[in-house]
Amino acid sequence: MDIVDILAEVDADSIPKETRDLQELTRAWVAERVAPELLPYPDSLIERVLERIRKQIELVEEQTGNMDPRTNFKLIIIQTELERFKFLVRSFLRARIKKIDAHPLHISNLHSLSPLLSTSEYQYLTQHQALLSQHYASSFLSQFPAGLQRLDDTTGGTSMIDKPDEDTAVFVRALRDVGVINVEGTDRSFEVKRGDVRVVRWSAVRRSVLAGDLELI
Amino acid sequence: MYGDIGNKLVQHAKRTQSLAHLPPYQTEMVRAVTREVRDLDKDVAAILEPFAGSFNPSTEPATACALLVNHLCMRRNKRCLLAYHRVRSDKLEEMCWSGIDVLERQAQQQSNKAGGDGSALMGANGSSSSLSPEEEEYVRQYSDLLAAYKGQWTDIDLTGSLEPPKDLFIDVRVLKDAGEIQTEYGAITLTKNSQFYVRQGDVERLIAQGYLQRLS
Repeated sequence: MDIVDILAEVDADSIPKETRDLQELTRAWVAERVAPELLPYPDSLIERVLERIRKQIELVEEQTGNMDPRTNFKLIIIQTELERFKFLVRSFLRARIKKIDAHPLHISNLHSLSPLLSTSEYQYLTQHQALLSQHYASSFLSQFPAGLQRLDDTTGGTSMIDKPDEDTAVFVRALRDVGVINVEGTDRSFEVKRGDVRVVRWSAVRRSVLAGDLELI
Repeated sequence: MYGDIGNKLVQHAKRTQSLAHLPPYQTEMVRAVTREVRDLDKDVAAILEPFAGSFNPSTEPATACALLVNHLCMRRNKRCLLAYHRVRSDKLEEMCWSGIDVLERQAQQQSNKAGGDGSALMGANGSSSSLSPEEEEYVRQYSDLLAAYKGQWTDIDLTGSLEPPKDLFIDVRVLKDAGEIQTEYGAITLTKNSQFYVRQGDVERLIAQGYLQRLS
């Protein structure tokens, strides 16, 4: 352990929890918008953030009657912060819904292997899928020969289950020393140190990103 | 020819992607492609019939080839149909998210048409809707689903603006009379052509609906 590690540890503890949550939320938001696949749902983080948003709304409601210019000014700051928090959560959830809508079957398969979605997202996915297949069926599919009515057919050379492109390039910044990363399928490999910024295939860095060693930017 | 209509349908879908509104549903084409698939399926059955279940592709390459072509055409037609419907349903979903009431707009368009075209076209009105009945049903159910999902995030307002908020208060000009709204600073009466300095969160809905215009 050298001095950098010690400093890093002290840093992490001295930051208040609220700030760390904001940092985590921002990170999750950026990552979700950049990563080609759906990332696991940060259950406890979102819950904490929502709890805090609710408390702030209550506070604002309580203090609105107050005409003292000083509290009024404070309220404006709180409300501005509140709007920004809401925006982060909203944009984060919308980015997820967009991915869920784009690759529903693929994501639902992955979700059954290891949880990826929140309960309500899963509900949304299954119901949306049911609606879509019902729509297709009533529009034309019900008149098709029985062998061709499936929506998740993988025979015949073309799989009907669409997948995101896992080899898209992403920008990553190293939060810790990661060591050597091999890019699969090529003979390229490189070492990543703390603070480095790289453009890499998503598939090569996925594991380090999920472990929190790298952040997407 | 095989797959011709399917191709047309895909071209239609491609065009739809770059349009702001939804062009009329191609009922005829969809039916024609479906019919083609059924005919092809019958052909396949007819070709296979004399073999009574013991068809061996390597001894009859010509027949095997015909079968393959038929099968591929059916699959292709299916893909074309799926793509066409998916593009349209995506578009409808987008409208649901942005708060446009698709069904109401449909009804309005129809009544406008009825008024403008006179009585000559009145009879054809039922089919002039650009949505198929299935799509209307789909929109109705999807809005319910969206409302249900949104309802779990009451504090966030999922369909709100996706632009990062800069200012808490903004200048707006009223484009259409919107009546009185309640804000925490009291009630404001929104009359046409007046300007206000209001909290963005209070009027976001009205901006999206076209009652207010944001002044920068």
